[in-house]
Amino acid sequence: MTNFFALLGLPESLGLDPVAVERSWREKSRSLGGTPDRSDPDIDHPDLNQARTTLADPALRLAHWLALRAPEAPADRRIDPALMDLFSTISPVLAKTDQLLARHRRATTALAKAMLTREAIDAQLQIQELLQRIQPLKGGIVEQFDAIEEAAGTGDFQPATRALGQLKFLKRWEEQCRERLLSLIAC
Amino acid sequence: MNEELIIGIDLGTTNSLVGVVDSGFPLVLADRDRDRLTPSCVSWAAEGLPLVGKKAFRSRLLAPERTVSSIKRFIGRTFSDLTSEEREEAGFPLVAGRHDEILVAIDPATLISPEEISALILTCLREIAEDALETTVSRAVITVPAYFNNTQREATKRAAELAGLTVERIINEPTAAALAYGLDKLEESATVAVYDLGGGTFDLSILQMRDGFFEVISTAGDTRLGGDDLDRVIARHFAAILELGELSPGEEATLLARAREVKEALSTEEDVAVRFPFFRGSESFALEMSRRDLEKLLAPVIERTRPIARRAFAEAAGKGAGEVERLILVGGSTRIPLVREKLQEWFGLVPDISQHPDESVALGAAIQAGMLCGRVRQIILVDVTPLSLGIETFGGLMNVIIPRNSTIPVKAGELFTNAVDLQESMAIRVLQGEREMAKDNWLLGDVTVPFTPGPKGSARVGVQFAIDRDGILEVLARDTATGEDHVLEIRHAAVDVDDEAVERMVSESIDCAFDDMNERVWTEAQLKSEELIPAVSEALARVGHLVPADDLAAIEEAVLGVKMAMADEKHDAVALKAANSALDEATQTLAAILVETAFSELDC
Repeated sequence: MTNFFALLGLPESLGLDPVAVERSWREKSRSLGGTPDRSDPDIDHPDLNQARTTLADPALRLAHWLALRAPEAPADRRIDPALMDLFSTISPVLAKTDQLLARHRRATTALAKAMLTREAIDAQLQIQELLQRIQPLKGGIVEQFDAIEEAAGTGDFQPATRALGQLKFLKRWEEQCRERLLSLIAC
Repeated sequence: MNEELIIGIDLGTTNSLVGVVDSGFPLVLADRDRDRLTPSCVSWAAEGLPLVGKKAFRSRLLAPERTVSSIKRFIGRTFSDLTSEEREEAGFPLVAGRHDEILVAIDPATLISPEEISALILTCLREIAEDALETTVSRAVITVPAYFNNTQREATKRAAELAGLTVERIINEPTAAALAYGLDKLEESATVAVYDLGGGTFDLSILQMRDGFFEVISTAGDTRLGGDDLDRVIARHFAAILELGELSPGEEATLLARAREVKEALSTEEDVAVRFPFFRGSESFALEMSRRDLEKLLAPVIERTRPIARRAFAEAAGKGAGEVERLILVGGSTRIPLVREKLQEWFGLVPDISQHPDESVALGAAIQAGMLCGRVRQIILVDVTPLSLGIETFGGLMNVIIPRNSTIPVKAGELFTNAVDLQESMAIRVLQGEREMAKDNWLLGDVTVPFTPGPKGSARVGVQFAIDRDGILEVLARDTATGEDHVLEIRHAAVDVDDEAVERMVSESIDCAFDDMNERVWTEAQLKSEELIPAVSEALARVGHLVPADDLAAIEEAVLGVKMAMADEKHDAVALKAANSALDEATQTLAAILVETAFSELDC
């Protein structure tokens, strides 16, 4: 497995500065140039792009860090009660939005689409509210990254797997909410 | 032959151009008549070689069914993917080939694929370049709409190969336009949006330009929306106003040609007189049209770009891009004043019209070509894949492997294992699109993953999906036991049709024109009527008191027209479609009031 931290010449730390990731990616990309002939044979361009995407996202960064440090650590798929509450709210909103989007897709005239505007606005507001609930939960986990690294230093990877499990749920829900929001915006 | 030289080609829906970088500057090459635009048009005379470009464009009125234009709308698509409207509006007969591919039936002996037609246009452009540069040319950069999928990109590449060109890079049209815009602004930092409304496609890309990096942040588009659609709306309006009834192919071609002229004239004039001399035998027609009339007709089509643009803006904002500072317009249709007005109204930005609407994409292609052959330096182009790539999983769902707007080149892997003892292979359906259900996305094809036979769960094959700089997919399989990699063939979804059936379809398409489609078109139109009539009643109940009296009267009249057309026992599909269009048009104000009311209720 390619070590993305090493590829971008960055310390193998969870608390990476996103600006440093971006700067390093730009420098390496520039060294590859715009032409295949001038590419650095030691660096694979897709890997470089993947390194940037991975290290810029807290959940992906944590997953990569864990895969490098403790590849055998068992995944923790338990869900925190706070997240369970959120899930019970998200699920019906997404289902309702999907029904609305399906109706919108079936509508073939401007008038039939316009009839759905009010519902689309309401759905957007609900989803924005959900996204606002997801953000602090994600932030709270990211704030634990220092403690996670400390525990890992003593060989305890349980906090890392726990955090990764929760982040994966949040990331998935965030993506689902954003996707629906974009579809509603395009209504 | 100049091995080093790479040309840049804008293979457009209505017009194509070729360019090159000379002494560090990009320029568009002209043909022997000093014309830089080549109509993307091919015509087959009864005998002899096909005509391409200007000559073909001139013959479209004389031999409309043997003249092909806007072929880009069909490249890389399957016949079953076409709507009946698209088939009807093509202007030339289309049939399905053996593997559901689209074929243009010029006559029973002349069946041509969109790739072959595009290859003729590309050959013409290569010859223009060779004439202008006085050397043979074999390498090219070709632009495609940003929203082209994998199959459409591959088909464009095949067309270039047929034209004797090696494709060094496929580049997205709005990205090319951004290169042309930013070439002399390498020191500046800005977030820009490129609104590209061409002849047949629409794209909106948002880019960050900084330190010579041109990075696409988000892109959205519609590969079936452009100037052609505007022309058709105007042509339909002429037909309705002049009560022309059923039209011959020649009459349709004349109306479309006149529509285009009127659209162009009203971009600068306030009123025009439209004449149709000897339109039907000795019968001539004439009408007056104002810019205001035109704008009323075009507004709904232009409005279709709004949600697409909003999506790209929202996605860029979600990815942390800075506020869009400039809105660059490219594509011939952005000359229309209403487009510019609407954009300013929607996004609060004064559109930047510094770029030549027809030439900037070709100039960008030339710059990319210059970058590849070392004539242009200090630019790093970072583009994205417009559509998510995924595979079908249990329950018919799409599992996204590479999300849309991922920076390319990109690769991502999945590990597959055998589900039963001694299983030798597994078929994966590869998809592109944004919908949750696999069936709602484009099926790119099937890939067969080979397993070393063994007990259930013992095989371990890593499959890597890689999208290259051209936005084209390659699938590799790695046996984790041996570490061996090999490319997996993507077998395109094929619906086998035997030769006899193809011949029959060709013959029907030519002998019966579109008669066989009447019932299908009627059913589709009927469904639309059944959607519209109750929607009108409900909308009037909600906001009817806000609708001006003139509009109310027009709506009532149009509703009556639809009801009468629906009651016709002969199932006149053309009449019902026209009645629907009239009602659709009459309810535009009502629809706008509904939307405004919904937003104003929100403000309260």
